[in-house]
Amino acid sequence: MKRVFLLLMVCLFSYPLPAQSPMEQGESLYRQGKFSAALNEYETALRNYPNNPFVYYNIGNCYFKMGSRGLATANYYRAFRLAPRDSDIRHNLALALETSGERWIPSGVPVILHQAFFYLSYGELKGLTYLLFWLACACVLVCLLRRKWNFLATLACILVLLSAGWLLARARLEQENLAVVAVPVAEVRSGPGTNFPASANVSQGHLVTVSDTKDAWDEVIISSQGLKGWIEKDALEKI
Amino acid sequence: MRKIFFLLLILTGFGVCANAQVSLSAHVDKTSLALDDELTLTVNVSGVSGNITMPQLPSLPAFNVYSREVEQSSVNGETSLQFRYVMLPRFVGNATIGAVRFNYQGQTYQTEPIAVRIYRTAANVPTTPAPHATPRVEKADPNLPPLEASLANQAYAKAGTPFFLVAAVSNTSPYVNQPFTLGIRFYYSQAFHDAPYQKPTVSNLFMEDDGSREGSQSISGTLYRYQEQRYRLSAVSAGKATIGPATVRYQAGSAARTAFDRIFGGFSSGPERTVSSNPITLKVRALPTEDRPASFYGAVGNGFSITATADPVQVPATEAVNLTVTVKGPGNLKATQDIHFPSLEGFKMYPAATTSGTTSAGTGYKTFKAVLVPSSSGIYTIPAIAWSYFNPDSTTYHTLRTTPLQLTVTPAEKEGSAFNFATTHTVGNGVQTLAHDIAYLKMNPAPNDNWLVRLGQLAIINGVCILLLALAALFVGLGQKSLAKKKAFLTAKNQLKKSTSSQEIADVIRIYLQHRLHLSTGSLPLKEITAALRKQGVTPATAEAFSLLWQRLEAQRFAPLHDASAGNAPVSAQALSVLKLIEEEAK
Repeated sequence: MKRVFLLLMVCLFSYPLPAQSPMEQGESLYRQGKFSAALNEYETALRNYPNNPFVYYNIGNCYFKMGSRGLATANYYRAFRLAPRDSDIRHNLALALETSGERWIPSGVPVILHQAFFYLSYGELKGLTYLLFWLACACVLVCLLRRKWNFLATLACILVLLSAGWLLARARLEQENLAVVAVPVAEVRSGPGTNFPASANVSQGHLVTVSDTKDAWDEVIISSQGLKGWIEKDALEKI
Repeated sequence: MRKIFFLLLILTGFGVCANAQVSLSAHVDKTSLALDDELTLTVNVSGVSGNITMPQLPSLPAFNVYSREVEQSSVNGETSLQFRYVMLPRFVGNATIGAVRFNYQGQTYQTEPIAVRIYRTAANVPTTPAPHATPRVEKADPNLPPLEASLANQAYAKAGTPFFLVAAVSNTSPYVNQPFTLGIRFYYSQAFHDAPYQKPTVSNLFMEDDGSREGSQSISGTLYRYQEQRYRLSAVSAGKATIGPATVRYQAGSAARTAFDRIFGGFSSGPERTVSSNPITLKVRALPTEDRPASFYGAVGNGFSITATADPVQVPATEAVNLTVTVKGPGNLKATQDIHFPSLEGFKMYPAATTSGTTSAGTGYKTFKAVLVPSSSGIYTIPAIAWSYFNPDSTTYHTLRTTPLQLTVTPAEKEGSAFNFATTHTVGNGVQTLAHDIAYLKMNPAPNDNWLVRLGQLAIINGVCILLLALAALFVGLGQKSLAKKKAFLTAKNQLKKSTSSQEIADVIRIYLQHRLHLSTGSLPLKEITAALRKQGVTPATAEAFSLLWQRLEAQRFAPLHDASAGNAPVSAQALSVLKLIEEEAK
């Protein structure tokens, strides 16, 4: 009887307990204030789920707590591109940008318009445009062959045009090589090298657009300041 | 004269505290000289301390004394004095320098008289060396530091040479990065001018200036002055290191310099000469790798200290705190590596600057600065920072540690620059916003791609739609036209079968022509209708048949002779056959 009991105990304790996922371990470490360790866990999770917006969001939180506003902004932006309607992602991205002196909603743009423009993700907007296009095609076919549904065909065509214009505008933003200044202060030089004089300093967390690349240097445009110059690649985090 | 008076004032300032054995001696640099030459009388006083008076020269009727110099040296509290008098002879013949008297603590000491022969010209002067009244043991004081003793001993070995250069190091087998000193002295016993100095070249050594100084040394009774240049050295790597010769180019006063020149400041320079120091080879020892701590950054020596400060110690979150770590110790710390600051949880650390140098007391220092930015409020402790050095005396590594520092981080104050926005304002209904922070982590599973995203991946359907549209357009543009034509004949055929009057048959034909050939027969005369049929490819025979049919139908319409219903069947059959022909022949 004792042997059976012992065998049962051995079996019980040797049974593999379900291991914590990297997301759970990351959360546990984050709660303890071990942000760099939590970051390692989330980066491990990112390798398994490269398009998961919440992993990017959690990585951004770790960087934010560690004081790396630039890297936090970059990761919030990645999360936002994948899940633009998530209120937490919007909130944290806006907060990270504000701490760097950037505006999330450009001045002069109504909030509702900005929210509507970014209501759908690029993938969703593409799907919507395709769907409208297919419907319009069907209506036009009927209109051609059956000589009816003229109004529906016209309406569908107008919707397709509107959706395509929206998609085109978003595509331009998607293809824009956005980057964030990831070091405390980055020097903007007039050429791709330290032998060119520095014309400006850009602090961490500022959004820039990369327009050209030469060796270890990126040519950037800082639209908010009307600046153009060269910054070392290591100082930037591409989004 | 003022110098002598000043020196006397200094000398009288010494306290009387020793009963040493006093010795007094006097000698001349030559006992035979020409009338235009000069004679130097040197009086040495040793074993004295406290208040000292000048020696009393005897009456010197045969000489004019025009220069007096005093040199003092002190070892172990005993003072040695050397008084030099430069004299010009006045008469030819034998002269005697009487006893020089020296009073010290109530006693009078005196030297032996010295006989001197004065000749009219230099050619008559015999070349015999001047006897020294008091021979000296030419060896450096054993209490001197090794570097200075080595330099002094090298100088003693070169007695009799008016200009020479010697070099010595404080350590001939240093460890890598262990600081040591190189001294180079230019000795001269004669006047010179224009003596550019060229410092030695070194290999496998880091060298920097450590200042210069002047001094004098009596060598075989001759007073030599020297200019000394010192360098701080440290070896770069283990093995052999060399210090090349330093050189001085000088122009000494000529041998034919006369007393007249000396009195009136005249100076005739001789040819340019060069003196060099001896090259030095060092054996550099490697630092032991055993038990070398991770916090060793290359410092070698003894007597180091380390301090760390944080400024300020109370700071709002996201505001910068300057952390400064300073290491002090002997020698040059410039060559040591920068300290690695430990990463601190809750802080972002930016290494800021490293400065190094030497204090006025000759102590080296190196300061490492870093900027710490706390991310959130709380009380934090910056742990002890370790820094190790190698002690060459004990040949062991020692580790120093800073004192742990405590920082108090309060919630951030400025909006827009902090994680916790400490601005407080009332929102309404008794709710007051205390702080803004980022939203918490997301633990729920990520949303799957919705159906819109999946639709967006079906780009191939767009191609299918475009193809369908193209086909439809093609069909509408081409196929529908031929279908309409075919439909026109079938309709005409069916209606002809049902037609009961010539009017109906004519209408059927008219509609057919309009749909099939787009030919409007309403206002056209028959001749133009047949011509149009011909243009559409209808043969003349068929056109003639159509003409006969059309005339028959018009005749029945406008002049009916008998019952129309009985006679229309052959007309409709004729019309059908004509339409068949037109259908076949028309394009």
